[in-house]
Amino acid sequence: MSLPMHLRSYREKSKDELTRDFFNVPLQESLPGPSDPPFVVKMRNQPYRNSSVELQGMDINAVISVEGKEEVYAGRLSLLPPFLCFISLDRKSCRCTIPLYTIRRVERLNSRAGVFALSLATWHGMRIILQLTSLLPTAEHFAILLRDALKSQLAAMKQLKPFLPSLYSEFLLSPHSSNTADSSSGAATDHLLLGTELGNEKQAHTSHDGEGDLRGPGGEGKGHYQRGLGETFGFPGDARKMRERSKMKLWKEYFTIHGRNLTLLRYPPFQRLLQVGLPSRLRGELWEVMSGSVYLRFANPETYGLLLSQNAGKSSQSTDEIEKDLNRSLPEYKAYQTEEGLARLRRVLVAYSFRNPELGYCQALNIVVAGLLIYMSEEQAFWLLEVLCDRILPGYYSPSMEGTLLDQRVFESLVHRCLPMIQEHFVSVDVQISVASLPWFLSLYINSMPLIFAFRIVDCVLAMGVKVLFQIGLAVLKINGEALLEVTDDGMFINLMRSYFATIGDSAHPDHPDPRVRAITNFQELLVVAFREFNVITDETITAERKRLRAIISDEIEKFSKRAAVRNLKNIGKFSKDQIGIIYDHYFAAVCASEAGPSSMQSAFSGDQFDQPRIQVDAQGRVETRIDHKTFGLFLSEIATWAREETITTNAFIQRTDKRIADHELIDRLFFAWDTQKQGTLSLQDVVWGLDRVMTAGLMESIEWFFELHDKDKDGYLTKDEVIQLSESLLFIFRNEPGDVYLAAVSKFILNAYEFGDATAPDGSVEEKVPFNGEAETASGARERSNSTAGPHNLPYLNLATFRMVVLADELLENFFAHDLTASFQLEQTQDEDYHQAHQRSEGLLGGLMNLVVTNENKNRLNRLADGFGAALGKHAEWRKPALSKSADPAIASSSSDLRARESLLTPAQQAGQLQRNRSASAVSTSSTKTVSSTGTVTPEEKRSLADVEARYREESQMVRAAQEAVMQRPNFAIDAIGDSDGEDEGEGEDDSGVMDEVEAFLKAHGADDEGLKGEQKKVATDLLKAEPVGAKKPSKSGDLVDL
Amino acid sequence: MAEETPVKAVQVKLVLLGEAAVGKSSLVLRFCQGDFNENTSPTIGAAFLTQKCRLENRIVKFEIWDTAGQERFHSLAPMYYRNAQAAVVVYDITKAASLEKAKAWVKELQRQANANIVIALVGNKLDLVSDSTSSDAAPVPAAATEESTETPEDDDESSSDPSTPPATATSATAESDDARQVPTAEAAAYAKESGLLFFEASAKAGTNVGEVFTEIAKTIPFDTITPKPATTQGGNRRNAGANENAGNVSLGDGQQAKKGGCC
Repeated sequence: MSLPMHLRSYREKSKDELTRDFFNVPLQESLPGPSDPPFVVKMRNQPYRNSSVELQGMDINAVISVEGKEEVYAGRLSLLPPFLCFISLDRKSCRCTIPLYTIRRVERLNSRAGVFALSLATWHGMRIILQLTSLLPTAEHFAILLRDALKSQLAAMKQLKPFLPSLYSEFLLSPHSSNTADSSSGAATDHLLLGTELGNEKQAHTSHDGEGDLRGPGGEGKGHYQRGLGETFGFPGDARKMRERSKMKLWKEYFTIHGRNLTLLRYPPFQRLLQVGLPSRLRGELWEVMSGSVYLRFANPETYGLLLSQNAGKSSQSTDEIEKDLNRSLPEYKAYQTEEGLARLRRVLVAYSFRNPELGYCQALNIVVAGLLIYMSEEQAFWLLEVLCDRILPGYYSPSMEGTLLDQRVFESLVHRCLPMIQEHFVSVDVQISVASLPWFLSLYINSMPLIFAFRIVDCVLAMGVKVLFQIGLAVLKINGEALLEVTDDGMFINLMRSYFATIGDSAHPDHPDPRVRAITNFQELLVVAFREFNVITDETITAERKRLRAIISDEIEKFSKRAAVRNLKNIGKFSKDQIGIIYDHYFAAVCASEAGPSSMQSAFSGDQFDQPRIQVDAQGRVETRIDHKTFGLFLSEIATWAREETITTNAFIQRTDKRIADHELIDRLFFAWDTQKQGTLSLQDVVWGLDRVMTAGLMESIEWFFELHDKDKDGYLTKDEVIQLSESLLFIFRNEPGDVYLAAVSKFILNAYEFGDATAPDGSVEEKVPFNGEAETASGARERSNSTAGPHNLPYLNLATFRMVVLADELLENFFAHDLTASFQLEQTQDEDYHQAHQRSEGLLGGLMNLVVTNENKNRLNRLADGFGAALGKHAEWRKPALSKSADPAIASSSSDLRARESLLTPAQQAGQLQRNRSASAVSTSSTKTVSSTGTVTPEEKRSLADVEARYREESQMVRAAQEAVMQRPNFAIDAIGDSDGEDEGEGEDDSGVMDEVEAFLKAHGADDEGLKGEQKKVATDLLKAEPVGAKKPSKSGDLVDL
Repeated sequence: MAEETPVKAVQVKLVLLGEAAVGKSSLVLRFCQGDFNENTSPTIGAAFLTQKCRLENRIVKFEIWDTAGQERFHSLAPMYYRNAQAAVVVYDITKAASLEKAKAWVKELQRQANANIVIALVGNKLDLVSDSTSSDAAPVPAAATEESTETPEDDDESSSDPSTPPATATSATAESDDARQVPTAEAAAYAKESGLLFFEASAKAGTNVGEVFTEIAKTIPFDTITPKPATTQGGNRRNAGANENAGNVSLGDGQQAKKGGCC
């Protein structure tokens, strides 16, 4: 079953990303430079490239005006390399996204003092004047950044010329396309291009016909624009009724003034043209321009072809699923009754499934893509699909469909807020709105209403974002409000919605005397209600609601996955359902934590955390998450007491337990023993089986599995080396037990094992007997020897029966195998719950992994701080929690008992010199020690790794009490030290935020200024249109000039 | 509730579940053909269709939710099977894995869905199996249960009788036919043990399709479903009781149902 891990690691978008989203600008990493390899397959968590240095962006207040246009707008100009974006202050009148590679020339205008204005000449001959209204140094800084960004786009500029003929608007506006080319506007263009002095021979010879060069050599590229199926099979709807011609004419006029395709500016007429429905032949191009997918297509010219050629002939689960759905995708449209139409649909869906293997294919995408392909070429549709899946409808089509579920919940909450009566009624009759609204969202209404209307909604969604889906949905409910209040079950609800959509082209007021009112269709009414009455639903509303509800949805999906995963286990052994649930929780928590990476778990996770854990897809399309070895360590540390290092720290303020994952061969052995299919990873089922065996074992079974664990070749005999390894495992488990009884028991075990082993061993291995007996006096001696050689130690030596005998000879070991070992595996709901809740709280409500990290870091810092104070007051202490002893309550454990424990271990510790080669042994030497933190006062920030503690302990072992006294005498130092270091940290933080505050305040102040000066600025802006560029005659010498 | 004057039509919400491409939609289309032209409507979330089924003494109007089979839509399924009185869990007899998935669905329904839900297990694509003709009517369940009428007005509480698995499918011993991967006997035994109605059918050939729905219609405990709010509450109450044997319960109901007072 799928573990929706990424839900937990969800991270809210940064401000920069939101800005990019707003302007439909892709992230820089999805825009490879010309020299970069094509960006073919996409994987989550794998930042694609870092080859080029990220260019710096910047925001600035500005006033925009365009030659040939009266309106002037004040707003915010954002440099988002490689794009320049503008949005007017009211956030709707005027906005634009201009790729820098379409800007031919930027000049600083020579005008009155104090006004910093730039003139931008675009590829299409448009002249945009930008007045930067911030303080002069800010404006100059912006200009410098702009220049750098422009320079980086020189190579991309070269690709513009071959690219543009793929766009219909270029064809439309070319003199070849029709005779209606407006001569006056053509002249204006010529004039402009000449006036801005291209300074480029290549364009000079074509400057006579400003646009002629845009269509490549010959300029005859009539048929070269990319087109959808509609060009061949006809567009849906009656062209005359939809007034295609007049719409086309209006758009053509709009293009000549406001730029087209890549340089299109959105002025108020744009919105009106949009809402009456885009003309069919321009629709595909406008879709990709409005959604920004055209920038991806521009930057990745090879990708689509490569995806198809590299994966030709391959089949996958996704391709199988696609195949099944092809014939069910808008079958009423003629093209999809032909092989050509189906082939296009297949290619786009297959290519995307290989591009984004994690998403693959989701039903409903077939409908959406089938819709897109009527108006767009395959490549255009492919890139728009990418934008839809990534940005406009995030998570809608992912394997857990969390975006869909989330937005349904958001929709319900909006219904609750805006249409409370309907909501209440639906609750009372127990009907879920989602049964109807889910397909609306998932297929962008394409599947719900007649195509010609659905595509008009798509127009608006691509231009204005996902909020449109909600606005339309609310309007549908509102318009049908009265009938909806009669609904008593979901069948009625569905039928009502169906009949409404079926009549959506009919008159909304069929009986009205005024023919103009009669002409208003239900659809027009729908749009009016959607955009008038529900204009309160903004992007911000949606974002906020999503943020609020995401945790709930994630939680539900997790619960659902858990239930399904538990239900799908083939064998749950002797566990109860609850216990399985606990195992699942631990398993899942480990997976999440290991995905979160080294920063959130301070332990042994290195950089490759994204490769593992592995996700496998089984034959039924279920995603199975398996855990790797490291994750298993984490998992086991939550279950087995000996698989973690618990350091209990008390200081003057708090007492806390720090957990770290222990590392020992024993854990590896368990991992490999449980990996029954030898895959190198464990499934939940493997873990359940493994735990079932160890947790339900009695004395004999425990002895047996422990024996088998160390019998590497499974021949029923341990070799001498394996006997040593087994005793090391025992020592590892006992490492934190107070007293030396366990150490003694293991020593005795080794002695006995060799004695009996020699007596019973097969002939070949007896030769070494004498030297072994001679030396095996102490545990340390035995351990040392185990490291020395191999050779004859590898012969079969000790069988299970003998092993059992040896174990049973020792009361302590007998007890250990009889219950302590079994009891050391604990399925503790409470403990887990704490972890879980804490995890979820930070994940869910505070929003994501980043917060988790931050929280943990803060906690660590707080802890260190508390330690510091504790140390200063002489109250700081920490010790390891033993794995077995049941009364290891740190509150009870007094300092005296700890001292005793340490003393008893002093002897092995002093042998550290001899033991250094053996890690586990030295771990034992520091077990159960109370480390008085005297050195800790000097470096409270330091992480107390095991090595540190060890080193410190060795230093101090000679004079423990003296050190303790020393601590008591050094409070002042301690406080100073802590104060210093922490002050530093906090100081930095404060400085940063202080700076940010200043900047903010500064920007705000200027924003206010702008508004105040609007009228005057307009005058300035109009003046600027006539202004001469600074040093126009000798551009290369002017410092302020950015000359391309 | 749509009321046809002469005979009262009872509305039954039915949900189709099963792995992708086992033929859920085809089954529904076969069943509903004629009544609906929307055969072509693709399954997004779930397709909604209705079809009437005529029994001797009543008309049952099925409201059918044909769910999307793709695994990722799994998490949406609860939305459709909540309050459903009947479920058809479909597998493909030529694909062994699909039965496993079907079992998972059954388990899920028995734990999460309405406690009274009538579940039918349907092995589709009988036409692909060579000797399908010989084993003809065999897979039809011995749903003799429905004849045992006459326990009028049984409250839905009365019926927790897990010991009567009704669907004693005749074990047409699945012979060695090439395409078949799921022997009839195996599926039948599973159905019996879990208290499901069981059929092998072919949407393509039309074999047994109508029977599935008729049989369900006969089995449904109508007393419990007619007044809708009551049903809902009853179901919820039952669910809270969390009986693992929901399937059996419903079938127990089935035995006395058939009578159906009101409407």
